[in-house]
Amino acid sequence: MKGGWRAGVLGLAAALAPLLAGCGRGGAESGTVTLRFSWWGNDKRTQVTLQAIEAFQKKNPNIRIKAENGDWGSYWDKLATQGAGNDAPDVIQMNESYIAEYGKRGALLDLEKAGVKTDRFAPGAADAGRLKNGLFGINAGINAPAYMANPKIFEAAGVPLPDDRTWNWDRMADTARRIAKACPKGTYGMENPVGVEPVFKLWLRQAGKDQYGELGMAWEPADGAPFFEWAKKLASDGATPSASEVSEETAKPIDQTLAATGKLAMWSQWSNQASAVEKVAGTKILLLRPPSATGRCADNKTWYKASMLWSASAKTRHPKEVAAFIDFLANSQDAGRILGTERGVPANLDVRKAVEPSMSETDKRVAAYLDAIASDLGPVPIVTPVGGGKFESILQRHGQDVLFGRKSPAAAAKALHEEMKGLLK
Amino acid sequence: MNALGELGAPGRRAMGRKGDTPDSKAGFLFLLPWLCGLAFITVGPMLASLYLSFTDYNLLEAPNWVGLDNFKRMLGDGRLHNSLKVTFAYVLIGTPLQLALALAIAVLLNRGMRGLAFYRSIFYLPSLLGSSVAIAILWRQIFGTAGLVNQALSVLGVASPPGWIADPRTALGTIILLHVWTFGSPMIIFLAGLRQIPAEYYEAAAMDGAGKWQQFRRITLPLLTPIIFFNLVLQIIAAFQAFTQAFVVSNGTGGPSDATMFCTLYLYQRGFGLFDMGYASAMAWLLLAIVGILTAANFFFSRFWVFYDD
Repeated sequence: MKGGWRAGVLGLAAALAPLLAGCGRGGAESGTVTLRFSWWGNDKRTQVTLQAIEAFQKKNPNIRIKAENGDWGSYWDKLATQGAGNDAPDVIQMNESYIAEYGKRGALLDLEKAGVKTDRFAPGAADAGRLKNGLFGINAGINAPAYMANPKIFEAAGVPLPDDRTWNWDRMADTARRIAKACPKGTYGMENPVGVEPVFKLWLRQAGKDQYGELGMAWEPADGAPFFEWAKKLASDGATPSASEVSEETAKPIDQTLAATGKLAMWSQWSNQASAVEKVAGTKILLLRPPSATGRCADNKTWYKASMLWSASAKTRHPKEVAAFIDFLANSQDAGRILGTERGVPANLDVRKAVEPSMSETDKRVAAYLDAIASDLGPVPIVTPVGGGKFESILQRHGQDVLFGRKSPAAAAKALHEEMKGLLK
Repeated sequence: MNALGELGAPGRRAMGRKGDTPDSKAGFLFLLPWLCGLAFITVGPMLASLYLSFTDYNLLEAPNWVGLDNFKRMLGDGRLHNSLKVTFAYVLIGTPLQLALALAIAVLLNRGMRGLAFYRSIFYLPSLLGSSVAIAILWRQIFGTAGLVNQALSVLGVASPPGWIADPRTALGTIILLHVWTFGSPMIIFLAGLRQIPAEYYEAAAMDGAGKWQQFRRITLPLLTPIIFFNLVLQIIAAFQAFTQAFVVSNGTGGPSDATMFCTLYLYQRGFGLFDMGYASAMAWLLLAIVGILTAANFFFSRFWVFYDD
């Protein structure tokens, strides 16, 4: 049903494409401007984004927005190709891990100069898209790493929910082991963290290091090894899926994952994805603070992240219209009400206030989570440097080597460190 | 005349003629779309990639000349070496198996059974579908941890079968199997070759008391060597270019643990994922050189085993 709907939208978009392109070309005379807008994401995101586009077009009858949505897997290859061909979309949904890649190479428009306002943003929230040479991304919503918990599995296993203010990584592993033991085969206490970038980053930060610093890598191989060791032990204890299940899991669409099919008690996820996960899992999902090394949540060194950013191609022929559209997405209460927290809690405080009463119960929980961790936050991480965009897939590969016993945790940490060092520019 | 001879014949005839007759003008006119395609879609981009292989092109900024740096980097790139190993394993295991199966099926179908056209189409079908995305996705389902193969195995009592595609020890094997399964196009060519072996040879051999196996060894195989050679050259080149199966089955990662990381896939990841198009272009030329050398070697060694009966 969902798939059919999506296919329908894509089909409709494809059918309308020549028509819209026609509008664009005719635009020179009639005053209508067509902007191409690309984003990745789930069906729910597509739905709300198309609604927001419609609302914008109603207010701005001389601007047409042509949607080019896809999934995360192919999004970046496509964007890179379009960039190389001088054919990048006008408005681009950007990720923190790629903004330096594009921004430092002159591919993005300075949005501050183009006139997008960020004066009503929460303190620091606008800096998520700032590089030394300009503001290349507008925070599309505030996000934080979280652990999701499926209360039904806890209940079935007879294991009490842990106190996320006092748990450490060992407590988490213990809980996961107990759940896996109590549940039927194929249900696990937690996901295997071995290829999960934010969890790896948390481990580094809690060891007093960080993923990146001003000089590139801000950690040593010895800081990464304990993480791999922990992940390996979890898999060999049966608390998490096995090595081959882990590698299979990365290829699955979101509604077929272990988390969505109710076979995982705990897994890490960005806070904005709670509503999408609840939708596919069909059950209430709780947000827990990530564990800390010390067992004090004030030490868990978590951070706020821009879930994603609104960027624009430096080569757009309509910077004024692009700025108007991005301004609408980021600063208008109409857009805020339509988009909800699907891309994180709105960075604009006025929008957030206006949106709050109409938030769904899940959205309210997500907002409450972000408020609750405000006092735990560690230092603000620096923007991912050029060359860091593929970190997670590289982490996954070395993590698989560990789980399959092809590399020791120490050797994997060393290899990961070496490879990333070679890639950073 | 055998099939190879027939393939070569139109070329020879064309070369024999003067180049300016009205006929040949019309011929070139009809070829024009193809020639345009060759120039703009093949040769042009190839030359561009040759240039880019000596630059640090990153897709977004203008390329800078770096000389032989990209080629020097290859020497120390462990992932490239691994991808070469994976590709060679795929080609050297997959191609002979595929050709052997194609020949076996062709010999079976050549016995003048009823409904030959039907069977021929059925066996050819995988060739049409095999490199498609849909089949690769199907493969992922069949060989998944909870896939068809493991369901069958568990019925047979195998306790915990591996996740064929998710385990680095078996992942490449499943893709080779997919490749072998697409034996249809060499099979059709084998069939055509078998049709051209005169029946008298077999009758004479049967008269002299040769069994089926001896007939196959002493008559079929030698007379078929030009066709085998033709298929071998073509299939090796095609196998080196394999991309879709590995890309879809591994979801673009070449995983698990780089076990299905073909050269083509690594090249793609480098170029489009890591903004390293200069290096990726250099890899493309390395691949071209490898395929060129192998094909030349194939032709060189063919004189020792290929038998032309004309």
